[in-house]
Amino acid sequence: MHKNTFTLLILIFCLVSGFGARAVAKEVLSATGPHIYVELLTEKSHFVPGENLVGIYLQPDKEWHTYWRNPGDSGEAPSLTWSVPDDIQVGEINWPTPQQIPVAHLVNYGYEGAVLLTVPISIPAHYVNQSSPLQLSVDLSWLVCKEDCIPGWATLSVSRQVQQNAELSPQASLFAQTKKRHPDAKTIAAKHEITEAHIVVSTDHPADEEWTLLPFENGVVAHNEKQSLVETDGRFTFLLPKSEYLTSTPQSLTFLLTNGITSYQLDSRLNTVLEQNAQPLLLLMLMAFLGGLILNLMPCVLPILAIKAMSIQQVQFSLTDKLAYLAGVLFCFNVFALVVVLLRSGGEAVGWGFHMQEPAVVAFLAFLFLYIALFLMNIAPQGNRLTGVGQGTLQGQTKSVQFMTGVLAVVVASPCTAPFMAAAMGIAMVSPAPTVFLLFSSLALGFAIPMTLLFFIPKLSVFLPKPGKWMESIRQFLAFPMLATVIWLVWLFLQQTNASAQLLLLSSLLFFAMALWIADISTGSKAGIAYILACGALVVPILLPHETPSEKTQTAAKFDQQKLLELQNDNQVVFVNMTADWCITCKVNEQVALSNERVKETLSSSLVHYMEGDWTNKNQEILAYLNQYARAGVPLYVVYAGNQSHQILPQILTPDIVINAIERAKQEMKNEH
Amino acid sequence: MNIKTFVLILLFTPLVSFAKANIDKPAPDFALTNTMGEEVSLSNFSGKYVVLEWTNHLCPYVQKHYGSNNMQSLQTKYKEQDVVWLSIISSAPGKQGYVSAEQANQLTKDRNAYPTHVLFDTDGSVGKLYSAKTTPHMYVVDPDGKLRYAGAIDSIKSANPADIAKADNYLDVAMQALLSGKDVVTKTTPPYGCSVKYKS
Repeated sequence: MHKNTFTLLILIFCLVSGFGARAVAKEVLSATGPHIYVELLTEKSHFVPGENLVGIYLQPDKEWHTYWRNPGDSGEAPSLTWSVPDDIQVGEINWPTPQQIPVAHLVNYGYEGAVLLTVPISIPAHYVNQSSPLQLSVDLSWLVCKEDCIPGWATLSVSRQVQQNAELSPQASLFAQTKKRHPDAKTIAAKHEITEAHIVVSTDHPADEEWTLLPFENGVVAHNEKQSLVETDGRFTFLLPKSEYLTSTPQSLTFLLTNGITSYQLDSRLNTVLEQNAQPLLLLMLMAFLGGLILNLMPCVLPILAIKAMSIQQVQFSLTDKLAYLAGVLFCFNVFALVVVLLRSGGEAVGWGFHMQEPAVVAFLAFLFLYIALFLMNIAPQGNRLTGVGQGTLQGQTKSVQFMTGVLAVVVASPCTAPFMAAAMGIAMVSPAPTVFLLFSSLALGFAIPMTLLFFIPKLSVFLPKPGKWMESIRQFLAFPMLATVIWLVWLFLQQTNASAQLLLLSSLLFFAMALWIADISTGSKAGIAYILACGALVVPILLPHETPSEKTQTAAKFDQQKLLELQNDNQVVFVNMTADWCITCKVNEQVALSNERVKETLSSSLVHYMEGDWTNKNQEILAYLNQYARAGVPLYVVYAGNQSHQILPQILTPDIVINAIERAKQEMKNEH
Repeated sequence: MNIKTFVLILLFTPLVSFAKANIDKPAPDFALTNTMGEEVSLSNFSGKYVVLEWTNHLCPYVQKHYGSNNMQSLQTKYKEQDVVWLSIISSAPGKQGYVSAEQANQLTKDRNAYPTHVLFDTDGSVGKLYSAKTTPHMYVVDPDGKLRYAGAIDSIKSANPADIAKADNYLDVAMQALLSGKDVVTKTTPPYGCSVKYKS
């Protein structure tokens, strides 16, 4: 009896421990819930060191469905919580491309019929050939719906030996088929902007109306509203109706770009101005330097430098003489940089050649170039200092003369832009002050280097032709590029003023030339009077107040707060468009709405004033205007009916929105009178 | 974009229809029949806080909050503070969650629920006016008739009652803020649950 009891105890112990041991290793590969069967599958018959694929197979009844990572307006994505040893890494679920499932007026994303959610699992090598199999288990929850929904839970587990090599499991073909339903391995880059009612996503990946963007996250896009697509200059821009729950501006968004058959993951970054200026400073400095070097060859500069180069063959220089030209160039460019920084701190948007927007400066340059041309042709008096230029400056050899040559070279170069320069200068205009000075100095170095080399290495002048009578011909020939520059300046002057102002400028130029010629051939007081006349001719068009062109063109006028107020007080209808080159939404609106024929017609009507503010380089006046409407950026469209009222248009325009708003404003003005 | 900018943009957006429910804007008025056959309007309760709860007793997500007594305790807590609680059923006849007046009263009794009224929106018009998407979907209207909260009941989107304790209850947080005279911080959240069983 005693012995029997002992035997029984042993037997029970064995049973219990055996059962216990089996319970640990016991696999629960599948489960069922109402309207669904779920199973845990492996791609291979055993685990292998490195990456393995396991899968959760969800098979709902016919007409029932499960959900994608973003379930849409209702529903819930399956969730997996793994229990595995610490050194085993479980990856993210590979979600096959979902279907859009409409439910009444709402939309869900999910899978009708069976789906396999594969998960990569990384197993370290030391698990190979261990005595006990490796067990992985997962707490799975799901929601299965037809119209009604039923949630379910199960804990599934799988035990397999880890071996160096393993064969494919019977379910491997299911893994292979599922792989075809996964998004393409290629990830697409995009940029997005958030407007009051839309998310605007732009990519250079070709798409057509078949393609839609499904957001990975819920609460981003209104799932049940129609997306639209606009193509502008080879970029494809989706207008996604914004979810009412999106109250922030996400820096990054992830979407699935799909046409139902093929799909790609699309990673979108918020479109900001800063991204445009991402080039490294050193590259920009190099570009500025190269730009400066090439600037020497521009027609406005070359003649001046050619004369100078020919004159230096004759004399020996001290070190300071040699450096004076470089100093003059550096000085002048840094004065430019200083003006840029000062103007900008005063809220003005400036670009390279900003001074060329001032008609007085353009007129002054026209006189300067004409004077140089006359000088080259030996018509103007030699050896005097009118406007700081003269025989002494160009052909003299003292330090101060070299320095002034440098300054003069920069002044005559200022209307010109050389290749490489535009990009570097464009960025300089929106950069912090030290960068502005650095870039302008790089430009100055590039510009000054060829002449400075000539000063330092007189041997180089061996390559220059020997002086002689031919020099006089070359010199006179070089007057023609100067005169060509004068033509361009006079043309530019017309753009900024009007025909009568241009006539005045041309007459003054003629009078100026004649006065100089008289001064050249006269002596004593006659010459003095001629100089005074020349100065008088110069002063008239420069100092006269300049009116901007009065004729109304179809293109927008530049935004001006003062002008806007005047037009409002004058009971005019004004359409204000605040835009920027880098703004995707603005480009879409220009393409879809503003370049529409009917809209163009409406805007070019004599009853409507169209103003455009360019926010490409930030500017205080436009910022103040945007702030007035609680905006921090563009686009912004406002239609004014005089002082009576204003309408702020949505950030996504259609031709009808613009036309109706303008018609309403016109109507309001009519009722007023 | 912070809430303030968002609201400002809403103010300046002419395209947003005035009829629809928008946060911090007047909540659209409606009149529905309750389980006693009486007509009940939102405007009847001006001067009081009103909670709107879209419900469907067969929806597992509704069952999560009733089965755990979470919904009943919210109803009790705020009705004691003179808050009006309206449970709205937008299920169409023949759809899940559609009940007769008697069944609705029986459900209230069986579940120890404590709503001020249970209202029928069988044609779904009020549900669409408020863009009610799921059951549950919660709204708070203030004494001035302005919509102050719209969205999920809490922060964990699951049908598992065990998650209730771990979640932030958005409705509770919003009501506490309002009753202590503060502004609601989280004013809208994506709702979760079963889709409202609208007339197709």
